[in-house]
Amino acid sequence: MTHGRLSPFLRQRLLVLLAGNLVLLIAIAFTMKQGGSFTDVLTRCGPNVAPVILAGLGMTGIICTGAIDLSIASIIVVAGTVFGVLVDRQWPPLPCFAACVATAWSLSACNGLLIRNLKMPAIIITLAGLALYRGLALILADLAIPNFGGSLNIQHESYHAPGKQFASAILLATLVGAFVWEWFASTPRRWLALGSSEEACRLAGLDPRSIRQSAFVVGGLFLGIAALIYVTQIQFIEPARLALGFELQVIGAVILGGTNIFGGEGSYAGTALGALFLYFTAQWMTYAGISPYFQEAITGALIIGVIGMDCALHRNRKRLEELA
Amino acid sequence: MRRWLLPLILLAEIALFTILSGQTFISASDAGAYFQSYFADLLCQSAPVLLLAFGMTIVLMTAGIDLSVGSLVALVACVMSSFPAGTEFWWTAVPLGLALALLLGATNGALIAWLDVPPIIATLSTMILYRGLCFVVMGDLEKSPFLSVPAYEWLGQISGAALLVLLTFIILAFWLNRSRWLREILMLGGNPIAARYAGIPVSRRILQVYSLVGLLGFLAALTFTARNSSVSASSLTGLELQVIVAVVLGGTRVQGGAGSLLGTFYGVLIIAVMDEGLRGAAKWGTEHLPFKISHLEYVLLGLLLVVGVWLNSREKTRRPAA
Repeated sequence: MTHGRLSPFLRQRLLVLLAGNLVLLIAIAFTMKQGGSFTDVLTRCGPNVAPVILAGLGMTGIICTGAIDLSIASIIVVAGTVFGVLVDRQWPPLPCFAACVATAWSLSACNGLLIRNLKMPAIIITLAGLALYRGLALILADLAIPNFGGSLNIQHESYHAPGKQFASAILLATLVGAFVWEWFASTPRRWLALGSSEEACRLAGLDPRSIRQSAFVVGGLFLGIAALIYVTQIQFIEPARLALGFELQVIGAVILGGTNIFGGEGSYAGTALGALFLYFTAQWMTYAGISPYFQEAITGALIIGVIGMDCALHRNRKRLEELA
Repeated sequence: MRRWLLPLILLAEIALFTILSGQTFISASDAGAYFQSYFADLLCQSAPVLLLAFGMTIVLMTAGIDLSVGSLVALVACVMSSFPAGTEFWWTAVPLGLALALLLGATNGALIAWLDVPPIIATLSTMILYRGLCFVVMGDLEKSPFLSVPAYEWLGQISGAALLVLLTFIILAFWLNRSRWLREILMLGGNPIAARYAGIPVSRRILQVYSLVGLLGFLAALTFTARNSSVSASSLTGLELQVIVAVVLGGTRVQGGAGSLLGTFYGVLIIAVMDEGLRGAAKWGTEHLPFKISHLEYVLLGLLLVVGVWLNSREKTRRPAA
């Protein structure tokens, strides 16, 4: 959401993240044991980080408008269940992929529609969606497959193509597309405008409700691609446990990337770098032999540290704006 | 409207699920005994949620939110479970658990009050952090020293749990009703800038509110561990959703500035009855429905949240009550 100019704060955040990622990469290279290959780390990075980055791109737009989507993990579950059911019915791969993307897209658009029509805060609607969509996925699986045992097995290799062979390519193509679109299109600017001031937006003749809706529609497209890569990477789709806590990873990456949680500021590049930073941190901890039990705590502490510092730095500026 | 609507929903729910569970009564005393044990179970089961929901009500009044409650209770329970059982548990683990809970709550408060982190972000990150610390403390183990602690079991039984919940409710209700503290909290939720200009110590109040949630989280950890007797690092995941839905259903506005403890009480009971009822109706479900009836819980929880908020937004003019 930059359009040629980055705010000093965003520019600073991008530089910090870039430097952080480089430091982490160097640290990984040094802590790597004998026999590990560094190129391996880089090639595995694409498929592993793709779902978080892609879902993060969608979330960035949504958060820029001042809304939030807590239901993305459950949407991925529904998309995955639809995908698994169709595979179970022996549909060819392409229609299965299309159905997966379309499901996620339409549910996200549905979130936007509900927020628009019920005039409720996005956090409430999507918190409800978090529970509701997972329940729907479970019911759907029960209805579609007699004696459903709790997991859908995707055996044939051709169904794993987007998540395993093409994940990096899809990620790169989407990222380039997103950057170009962010740079030239007017819609991302409208999201920023809405996030900065809904009142000003309305006075300028823009319709806040359809702008917010457009963020959910565009976000849904990104989320659809993310869901496709996520569910085609795994062998067993378990609706009850799939993608638990995924929304936290994504929101963490987006905020780390410098997107203001209240809207009005943010960039796709920041989100991508933020997601990479969290991923490389986890990788480094694995290579450094830090117990996996510590990793979640360290990630949490890291997010708190970065955001806390950030908010503290903003504190004085906010007080001054208040007086103006 | 909500004053009579919530008890009505609760009664309808109890009636529906009693029918679905296939329970038949031969006499009035039979029914009396059934409902006595039913309500006792219900209150014990929902004691942790009730205690947390009281805290969450006050947090929502400040226009904040606390997503970390589930992880907070789990962490306190995990740390307490690492102590050896026996009489000394009461003067080692319990005070330490209390101190830890207050510290964790105050950490949330400090992030929000002193560093100006938005509540949802602060508590989302502490939710991850506290859960991570649970794994640091416990690893993959599941510990259960609680039943070997003398008199600990009492906290999970109806007399202990009910006493704790009702005492908390009465103290909070009396303390909050018309207190200056509550007025300041409500004003803070309604308009924080105006509150500061009115001379209300905003940071201190926020710190107090989140520490109070920590304290209630400690009580919730006591009742939870006493009833479930064992705890693992992944205990109580998703608790925050239940708590928030209950509070919102009870008429507390998410935008702050209004709320009701009694409403929260009903909200928690409605969800607990649904939870228990769906479990009781499992037999009916397998005969009549093509899917597992327990899956409906997620759907209903989501729908209840939306309906609750929608009702709240229709009652904007309602005066706040404690």
